[in-house]
Amino acid sequence: MFSLFFRGLATGSIYSLTAMGIVLILSTTNVMNFSQGDMGMFLAFIALILLMAKIPYPVTIIIIILMGIFLGFLLEKGLMSKVRKTSHIGMVMITLALTMIFEGIVGIFVKTPTLFPPAISGGPIIFGTIIMDRQDLLSLAISLIVVIILFLALYRTKIGIASRSLAEDEYAAKLLGIPVKNIYIFIWAIAFGLAGLAGIMVAPRLSLEPTFMLVIQLKAFIAAVLGGMNSVLGAVVGGLLLGVVENFVSFYIPQIKDSFSLILVVLVLLFLPQGLFGKRETRRA
Amino acid sequence: MLKIQSLCTGYGPIEVLHEVTLEAKSAEVVSILGSNGAGKSTLLKTISGILTPTKGSISLEDIIINGLEPSRIVKIGVVHVPEGRHIFPGLTVKDNLLLGGYFRDTEDNKKNMEFVMSTFPILKDRLKERAGMLSGGEQQMLALGRGLMGNPKLLLLDEPSLGLAPKITSEIFQIILDLAKQKEMGVLLVEQNAKKALEISDRGYVLINGRIALNGSSDELKNNPEVQKLYLGGKNV
Repeated sequence: MFSLFFRGLATGSIYSLTAMGIVLILSTTNVMNFSQGDMGMFLAFIALILLMAKIPYPVTIIIIILMGIFLGFLLEKGLMSKVRKTSHIGMVMITLALTMIFEGIVGIFVKTPTLFPPAISGGPIIFGTIIMDRQDLLSLAISLIVVIILFLALYRTKIGIASRSLAEDEYAAKLLGIPVKNIYIFIWAIAFGLAGLAGIMVAPRLSLEPTFMLVIQLKAFIAAVLGGMNSVLGAVVGGLLLGVVENFVSFYIPQIKDSFSLILVVLVLLFLPQGLFGKRETRRA
Repeated sequence: MLKIQSLCTGYGPIEVLHEVTLEAKSAEVVSILGSNGAGKSTLLKTISGILTPTKGSISLEDIIINGLEPSRIVKIGVVHVPEGRHIFPGLTVKDNLLLGGYFRDTEDNKKNMEFVMSTFPILKDRLKERAGMLSGGEQQMLALGRGLMGNPKLLLLDEPSLGLAPKITSEIFQIILDLAKQKEMGVLLVEQNAKKALEISDRGYVLINGRIALNGSSDELKNNPEVQKLYLGGKNV
């Protein structure tokens, strides 16, 4: 029982990391970011190269996160800021294009699913009837730390509070003289940093191939919908919840294992369209 | 302090303001009167840099500010408190205020925060609450306080009385007047409530279809038969 729950949490933490990236981008820049998952895939691929070059695992993780941050900066500075004024849908198309570019690049080198080394080896940890995989434990712990850091950044730092204000009312933020362009860079950098972390955490479980993050991206969308699409907390809770429920369902009713999350999204949109933590679309003026 | 010369602005091909020339001194409250669609809000949006003028110039203390980014204009000292308040409902009152001083350093923010607290004591007890929970009048005070955190030389106020009870409106207008005199701040006040606006302002401009149709001291405007008929509800009032 608890093993199922724990395994679900571990999977869910990856959904959460990815969903947070999607929600941050959507709520501040109004762009549906389709490249969140594949950015993670690409960075996991880079991580594999680094690991094969005998660079220690912890260092690799840090390099990958920094690289994600840098790519986020590059994307906003080089592309998004240029397109923003002329075409909103153009920005969404760029994120779609990125998925193709990343899958294309990695596809040149990775023809068959490639095993990805886990961050910590060794057998599972067993407490009586509870079995916990070490990699699961690690990804859960790291996700937790990252979520805490992210929340401190969003709620305690000047730029974090400004990002939240931008998500609430862009016009007012502009009037107050908040440097909107820098905030966009900040948010893309965070989102892609999260993507890198999610990629390297999940790769050992799924083995690396160009499309291995697509499922995660889809699940993260569902987690984000579950959480309300514009709430970072919602994304975290939505991801964990989805991971746990999905794991129980696939154990007890394996027939609907794959379709379950899609059924869930339909139900959520039908009965709880603003999600668990989302704000209603209509607000008091 | 503020000098606007033959300013033209519009949205795309449609010109809204035609050759507007206007002036405001420090410690002076200047009303902009006019009916819906006369271009009052457009004027404020152009001054604060949300819209870029097609012609003319805007300067603050001889610094040309037209064409600058809104964030630069705020730094120079023009703060725009928009129509409908536009506070951040999900953020705490304190965070709302601090964002108003985004550019100021911690030291300045501390000082300005104290000043805002003494001007609007109501906000002091509610610093930790989410701004969306405040009443309409409190939200307007928060919007004003947030603007003051930027320590402006010129404050642009767009319909501060919108949706407020008459008593609260009077209270807020009195505070605006005091602020202008006390901080030697220029105030450009856009109002539907012409009577109250003229009561606290030194001078006024009347905008009709994007042009300045009349200007003068508040007393002159109050006694102008045209203004009385159009904006003050006729002679009986």
